[in-house]
Parts: sequence; structure tokens; C-alpha cells
Amino acid sequence: MIRICNLSKSYQKDSAALCDINLAIGKGEFVYVTGPSGAGKSTLLRMLFCGEKPNRGQILINGRNVTRMRTSQIPYLRRQLGVVFQDFKLIKNRTLLENVSFPLEVQGKKRHEVSKKVFQALKMVGLENHLKKYPLEISGGEQQRAAIARALVVDPMVLLADEPTGNLDDQTTQEIMELFKIANARGTTVLMATHNQELIRRHPRRVIVLRQGRVVEDFMP
Amino acid sequence: MLQNPLLCIAAVGTMAVSLTIVAFFGVLFFNFEELTTSWSRRIQIKTYLEKVPEEQALKDWRQQIESYPEVDSVLYVSREEAFERFRKRLGQNSDLLQGMNPSILPASLEIGLKEGYRHRKGVEAVVAKLKRNPHFSDMRFGREWLERFDSFVMLLKFSAAILGGFLLFATIFIVANTIKLTLYARREELEVMSLVGGTPAFIKMPYVIEGAAEGFLGGFLALAASYLIFSLFLEKSLVSLLLTMGVGQVSFLPPPFQLGLLVAGTALGILGSMTSLRKFVRIRYQ
Repeated sequence: MIRICNLSKSYQKDSAALCDINLAIGKGEFVYVTGPSGAGKSTLLRMLFCGEKPNRGQILINGRNVTRMRTSQIPYLRRQLGVVFQDFKLIKNRTLLENVSFPLEVQGKKRHEVSKKVFQALKMVGLENHLKKYPLEISGGEQQRAAIARALVVDPMVLLADEPTGNLDDQTTQEIMELFKIANARGTTVLMATHNQELIRRHPRRVIVLRQGRVVEDFMP
Repeated sequence: MLQNPLLCIAAVGTMAVSLTIVAFFGVLFFNFEELTTSWSRRIQIKTYLEKVPEEQALKDWRQQIESYPEVDSVLYVSREEAFERFRKRLGQNSDLLQGMNPSILPASLEIGLKEGYRHRKGVEAVVAKLKRNPHFSDMRFGREWLERFDSFVMLLKFSAAILGGFLLFATIFIVANTIKLTLYARREELEVMSLVGGTPAFIKMPYVIEGAAEGFLGGFLALAASYLIFSLFLEKSLVSLLLTMGVGQVSFLPPPFQLGLLVAGTALGILGSMTSLRKFVRIRYQ
């Protein structure tokens, strides 16, 4: 599903954010990318959804070389990915319904199809009674659930999550993890960047450890 | 627009104020242009005739002069008519002319010029042609007044160009930055749209339409506000100013320029949006 070959990225001459990364992630896998702050976790995820371009190396997603992709093709790649961020990134002046609908509207889906899928996605995350609410009217945990619904509404082949539980309490973190596990059980490949070792211990999956931009460990606990 | 009403009001308000200033400048410019046009109507060439011409000769001269591209009208003023005009000009002192013969004054031809030739060069071109006819002895066209008029018109045009150019630049700058600020306030929204797979065109289109709508609304408000202020305050003061210079009435912007203001507002809104969006949407693809 995802193959990363000799990937490198540096922002300044003397410091590399990523250095010669080689990874292979299979379809349907659930993988943690962990490491200390500044290890390159977020940078790696940003490369995967073409938020940044590497200095060297290649990334293949489902056989497509995304590093060589034309700028005009990037939106179409992103429509097959779901991305969840630590700060939720919901549009504050739109309701949850509108936020979760947006990825489908972008794809030109018909209104009745959008309504059906959005309701299903919000029901899956337990927010079906909050359709008309705005992000600031709900809690942080609910906002993250809405962000996950938005990511899953397009039935993505890969779900990228960058510290999705970073701003949440323990109980909410567990609830969020259950949602990711449900998505993974349905066949979505999940790649989660986190420094929360307790989370990894409670929900063991394959772990890739980064340190100073390099892969230092890749194991299954 | 409905999702960010305050931002939109701020953008429309700023554009309306900027365009109102442009509209006022336009009103002043058009009325002063009307003033110079009314002055220029007084520009004429008077050529005195050595002796009273025969009917056929007069007819030939008139036809010849009317054929000049610069000439609008040719009027023959007989000695008697000239004497009568002189008597009227003297007013209360007209009794000074008692016992005098109209033949003391020469006949003349008063030549009026077309609008595009009412300046020194246009006058000199006609005078050069008239000089070829030996019957036209003396030509008067107010050389000094003409030179001062030309200089005044040149100064007016130059000032209008400088001031108008500066005003236009300032308006574009203000509108562009207002739109940039409104989009900056919505940069998170733009980021999310690109992250979920929105193409640049899909993301930009609603904002460009919004920019156009804001620009049109700003132009409309500018037109309404400037008309209101013109009719309530400016019209009277302009009339009293221009009346002393010979202009009887003042007018608001002509309809084509009113439409031009609306179009300019809309265009500014579209251009401002497109220019700002290029920066905010593009960086997502680095």
C-alpha cells in the first residue's frame, strides 16, 4: 500500500528533518510512528499527503509515485486519504454537518448521497444528534470525533493521524482509539504519529520509531 | 458571505469609501471639464474685411472656410451689424455714436471652431490658411487669452492625471489589502479545503464570486453615497463656484461613468480576490 524509498527532507543545511527513510506498509495495517519531539513524525505524515515535497527519495501509495505527482493531481490523491490532526482543523463557522459534507461536495457527489454518508459517518462517531452544532459549541473530544468522521466519510484507503489524541484526556483518548480500530477493521490502512507510549502499550500494533529523522526501530510488540 | 457577515461588511464598507472618493473626484473632474468646454466655445477667429464683399465673393469665401476641417461655423457681420453691436456695448454712452456712419467699422467674418480644435494649434492652423486670402486683412483671436487658456487646460489635465492616478493606485491598494485581510482571516478554512482534496479552482471560485459581489456592492454604495452627498451638499457649493466662471449648472457623473464605477468595483473585487487567493491556496502544495 505505502512504500517509502530513501526519503530525505531538510529545512536547513545542517539539520535533516528526515534522513534516508525506507519503509513498507501493507494494506489494512495499523502502524504507529513514534519518537521524541522533532524526530520527524509529522514531517513524514505531511509528505504522505503531499503537504511538503522531499528533497530526495520517493513515496509510492497504491503504486502511484506521489513525490513525482503534478500539483494538479494532488487534490485527487488527497480525496483517497483521510487526515486527522491534533488541532482538529474543523472550519469554525460551519456546522458539523457542513464540515463532514465538504470532502464529498469537493468530489461532486449528489446531495442525497452526501446526506446519507455524512449521517452514517457522524453516527459512527456518536455525533448524529449534533449535526447543526458548530465546532466551538462542542467539546475537544467531540471535535476530534467530528474530524475523524470527516476523514472517514470518503472511505479512504489510508487514514493519516498526526497526534490525534494530543489535546485530549485519557478517557476521550480511549474513545478515539476505538474509532480508529473500527476504521482499521473495515480495511482502512491507519498510520498514526504519536509520542504517547501509554497509548501504544494499551493498543499494541506495529511500531516505527524515529529519532533525529531516521528509523531506529520497526517492530511488532 | 453569510458565514462571515462582519468581515464582509468591513470589506464592502472599505471599498465603498474608497470608490466614493473616486466618484467625487470624477464629479469635480467632469464639471471642471464642462467649465473649460464652455470657455472654449468663446474661442473664435475674427477676420476683418478691407471692403464690403460682393454677394458671390462672400458666398465663395464662406464655402471655402466652411470646408476647413477645423471650422464649425462662419458668420458674416456687416458694417451695420457691427455698428449696432458696438452701440449696444456702449450702453448708456451710446449717444457718443450720434451722427456717426456705420461705415467707420469694417465688416468681418466670425469663424467658430469645432470642439477638438479649440486650442492654440487649431486656431493657428486656421489663421495660416486664412492668411492666404489677401482680402482678409486683420485677424484677431485673442492670442494672449488663448495661451493662458491652453496653459490652464494643460495644468488641469496634468493635475487630473497625477491626482487621478494616485487616487486609482490608492483605491486598488486599499481594496486589494482589504480583501487580502479578509482572506487571511479565513486562511484556516482555505487550508482545510485543500487538505480534503479541493482543487484550487473549486476552493477559489466561491471567494472570487464573493469578491465580485462585495466589489459590486461597494461600487453601488459608493454611487448612492456620492449622489446623496452631491445632491444634498456639493451641488449648491459647486454651482456658486462655477457660476462666477460662467457655468450655469453642475451635473453628477454621466450614466456611462456611473456604470463604469460599478464595473470598476466588481473588477477590483475579482482581481483582489484572485491575487490574494493565489498566495493562500498555492502554498498548500509546496
